[in-house]
Amino acid sequence: MVPNGTKCRLRAEAISVDYPGRSVLDSLSLDIPAGKVTAIVGPNACGKSTLLRALARLTPVGSGQVSLDGQPIGKQRSRTVARQLAILPQSPLAPEGLTVLDLVRRGRTPHQSALRQWSRKDAEAVDRSLCLTGLKGMSFQSLATLSGGQRQRAWIAMALAQDTDLLLLDEPTTYLDLPHQIELLTLIRKLNHDTGRTVAMVLHDINLAARFADHMVALRDGRVRHQGAPAEVVNAEMMQDIFSLPCTVISDPVHGHPHVIPA
Amino acid sequence: MQTLRFGPVSLAVHRRPLIAGVGLLALVALAAVAALLIGSYPITPGGIWQALTGRADAIPAMIVLDHRLPRILTAIGAGAALGLAGAMVQTMLRNPLAAPDIIGFTAGANAGALLAVLLTGGMILAGALAGGALAAMAVVALAWRGGLDTYRLILVGLGASLSLGAAADLLLSYTDENTAADMARWLTGTLHARGPAEVALVWGGLAMLAPIALWLGFPLARMTFSNDTVVGLGLPLAPLRLAVTALAVALVALAVSVAGPLPFVAFVSGPIARRLTGSGGPALPAAALTGATVTLGADLAARSIPMVQLPAGVFTAMVGAPVLVWLLWVQARKGRL
Repeated sequence: MVPNGTKCRLRAEAISVDYPGRSVLDSLSLDIPAGKVTAIVGPNACGKSTLLRALARLTPVGSGQVSLDGQPIGKQRSRTVARQLAILPQSPLAPEGLTVLDLVRRGRTPHQSALRQWSRKDAEAVDRSLCLTGLKGMSFQSLATLSGGQRQRAWIAMALAQDTDLLLLDEPTTYLDLPHQIELLTLIRKLNHDTGRTVAMVLHDINLAARFADHMVALRDGRVRHQGAPAEVVNAEMMQDIFSLPCTVISDPVHGHPHVIPA
Repeated sequence: MQTLRFGPVSLAVHRRPLIAGVGLLALVALAAVAALLIGSYPITPGGIWQALTGRADAIPAMIVLDHRLPRILTAIGAGAALGLAGAMVQTMLRNPLAAPDIIGFTAGANAGALLAVLLTGGMILAGALAGGALAAMAVVALAWRGGLDTYRLILVGLGASLSLGAAADLLLSYTDENTAADMARWLTGTLHARGPAEVALVWGGLAMLAPIALWLGFPLARMTFSNDTVVGLGLPLAPLRLAVTALAVALVALAVSVAGPLPFVAFVSGPIARRLTGSGGPALPAAALTGATVTLGADLAARSIPMVQLPAGVFTAMVGAPVLVWLLWVQARKGRL
């Protein structure tokens, strides 16, 4: 459970999402604890991506509601929401020839208008997020020339430039090799630590989730089956329940996090 | 990028689009001067100047002020309207093939205008607006399958475009010879014999619609991302799409009302403008100027050929067809067709 006294700004209240002929989320309720890194895990097609998209108002909910600061997210102006919450969708597409700087600048959109195209705050936010993600030296490079890891960092820099307290990431480590996965998750951890941002992300790898998240949410068949600190949640019963995978869970000898070893 | 700041107002100015814009403006001015000078009745540059300042004899004054000038101003206005509409729809649908003249908006406006003239003897703009709007709605409705796939939209639009073109030809064949000559503009688009009424219509319309288009340029530049990103950035996707489509239909209807369908102007302007400005966005001002340049250039070419009266639309098609082939080739090479 979410520890008592932890604040929460983003909340799913009994949400259901149905795709034609299939229920994806089934009356699911969830609080995203503020100031923490939350990892959403589960088998393929368990609804974890849909949950994240519903939390970010990208997928409309059939019943129930997602609330941001106590107000239904669908009833708030999309622009107001975008100043509080940034979402990095799975494998996003950018127009051809876009440079890193162009991409990151686009993140300022919710703070801009046709008559306020580039305020000093915009310039500061973009500069800050380029520094945080270590992309300052590559500002003028075209996205197409970057490696997968660098490109993913550029997208995260765009989401950061949006300057929101809440950051939602849909499988940010997809297509990255292990060193780049570690690099990216370390960056996310650091962002949370340095700026106090709330992060919620969908992750495939249980061991990485256990190592980098404060709070874990395990889904199966569109329902939350387990949640809490990784040390409380990750064990052999949970792995059997969620993934139907027999395994042994040991304590990672270096970091002390739970570590899953499939049987 | 430079920033202009006036209190809370800030404008981002990029250098290359600015240079491209000034260059295109010079090109339009150059073509306009050439169009004033060229014609079957020879008038010297000095004579043109006298006519423009109201000090010329009756005949050169009439030729310059009643014939050449309205024709030039109509060409610039219609071309700019088509260029804006084309770049807006292409950017919104993230595909250069999805231009109003390819996906049936222009053909709809044309058929509507023609029908209005035949039935009422006037109401051209109203007919073009209704025809364009109906065509846009029909194309979107026919291409809709729980969402909009751009390639399905393009194919459905291409079909609609051809059918509406055939319908316009059929309507023309029912008119008598005298009216048919007046109706020639609805065949391929021409700027022959345009007067002050057309100039007032197209420029009045542009004065209303162009500011809205430029204001929409800001969100449009962000609609080049996938829908999830657009919504994530806080832009209202559905209202924006509706506004862009409605404005594009109005701009196309305006151009068609004064000059007929002028094939490929809307289609070529966006890609050329994006090349010139080096931007991945809509490049709306450059697209408007490109549309004006292409239309004025086509009309100039049409008028320069002695003995025959070719419509400008023939020449815009000559510019447009190679660009279409080039874009198809590029997209096929990228495996997107």
